[in-house]
Amino acid sequence: MAQSGTASELSLPSALMLLAPLTLLMLAILVYPLALTVWTSVYPGQFSLQAYTELLSSTLFLKVLKNTFEISLSGTLVSLLVGYPVAMHLAAQPPSRRTAYLIMVMLPFWTSILVKSFALAAVFGNQGLVNQLLGFVSGGQINLPMMFNRVGVILGMINFLLPFMILSILGSLLAQDRTLILAAETMGAKPLRIFWKITLPLSLPGVVAGVLINITLSIGMYITPALLGGRQDMMVANLVDFYTRQTLDWTAASATAVVLLLISGLLVALLGKVRGASGLSGAVA
Amino acid sequence: MNALFGSSRLSRNLIATAAWLCYVFLLLPSLIVIPISFGNPGQIEFPPRQFTLALYQQFFTDQAWWGSMVQSLLVATVTTMLTLVLAVPAAYALVRSQLPRRNLLRGLFMMPMLVPVIVLGLGLYLQFSNWGLLDTTTGLVLSHIMLTTPFIMVSVMSGLHHSDVSLETVASIMGASRPVIFFRVVLPQLKASIAVGALFAFLMSLDEVVVAYFLTGTKAMTLPVKMYSSIRWELTPVLAAVSTLLTLLSLLIALGIIALQRKTEANP
Repeated sequence: MAQSGTASELSLPSALMLLAPLTLLMLAILVYPLALTVWTSVYPGQFSLQAYTELLSSTLFLKVLKNTFEISLSGTLVSLLVGYPVAMHLAAQPPSRRTAYLIMVMLPFWTSILVKSFALAAVFGNQGLVNQLLGFVSGGQINLPMMFNRVGVILGMINFLLPFMILSILGSLLAQDRTLILAAETMGAKPLRIFWKITLPLSLPGVVAGVLINITLSIGMYITPALLGGRQDMMVANLVDFYTRQTLDWTAASATAVVLLLISGLLVALLGKVRGASGLSGAVA
Repeated sequence: MNALFGSSRLSRNLIATAAWLCYVFLLLPSLIVIPISFGNPGQIEFPPRQFTLALYQQFFTDQAWWGSMVQSLLVATVTTMLTLVLAVPAAYALVRSQLPRRNLLRGLFMMPMLVPVIVLGLGLYLQFSNWGLLDTTTGLVLSHIMLTTPFIMVSVMSGLHHSDVSLETVASIMGASRPVIFFRVVLPQLKASIAVGALFAFLMSLDEVVVAYFLTGTKAMTLPVKMYSSIRWELTPVLAAVSTLLTLLSLLIALGIIALQRKTEANP
């Protein structure tokens, strides 16, 4: 489009002038604090990797790391199992109705995470709507514990993750060539067989991208486990906060943050390989 | 239209049921706060047994609540304006120049979206405690500019890719200076994408909790931070009124964005 030397192209000095203010701000408010975090983790007075060796032998850290992977992976799995049929339902709608349904799917994306956490606690809490309904149906008093434990974290998490999973799978369902399915039907294939042999395999790129986006988004979660989980459901982000505010151990907090940064960096790189460079930004914007 | 998963009635009904359960699960939390907010001011109750405005009255007479809302609106407004001033020219320079390694800069501007926000919160906390910016509106606005930059970048850069370069070429050939081209030719074409980015940035800043929680104390406390500690420690019914106000605001902003995006798609 814009070849070098065309009249619409900016000269290098003016481009630099326009880019300088934002670049300086990003260096000061993004790169510097990240570098400071790494520095704090390895330089508590003199250079040492002690913070990291201590983390690796800390039962608290290892338990929290295990929690983080467990919660993140099970949340993603539930989101996939729930999201896939929704994506199929959306794909089968005529475009105008699909837009209306999509607005419903996107609404949680626009709602504050605090509003959602508060509301989920009200719906799934001990005296919440779901327990009231269950009690009404069974005719007794029901107090199914669904909040402030693992179930609560997963519920909060999939409410946040589902839109990303659904949109990702929907994309690859809509891209499929439907004549394939018509052909299979004409030749007498049963619906289940068509699903396993055609629809599912062709949608795998969307599934893989959706799963990676979900894991990436959930691995660093802070608000949901803090508000909807119990004390046993602490995730890595909550541990960073714990070291910073409760024990005032900034070295341990920084080392934990660096570990989280590395994990999510790996995931983003993987996602970039699967989806091209715009992986996450395409999902968010 | 059902070609996607065959024509079996049973499978279609199963899928529709599963999908509708999921729609309800996604919608319910955003909507249920509305009836609760008009109910019993003594406890969180659904379905509500009375209709009162008591919770709204509590919200607007408690300085700690409406003060933090004013602070949030202020931070979000200033953040959005400053991010626009910084990011729109930068996006223009990235798209319309042949600067070597401009992908590196683009990566830098997109990075806040990819780094876990807790890591940014801790880094800024360490930095601002050295710089004396903890619990200040300045510190909070600076970090929100950083957090909202990628969203304005994405929107404005895609607007630039869709705008008509030849208009700029023509203006340049006819002797218009670079600033004149930028303000009279480029910006008018970008109006919708700038508005979308700005609304998005405003909402992001307004709803942002984690960084604000790390950086603010009693003086610069924003509404999300106040809500966070309230949900965590007391779970007061006033939260339903706050949530309803926030949900309505988000809904308005979302509808604005959808309408603007339709407009840009209609006349690219």
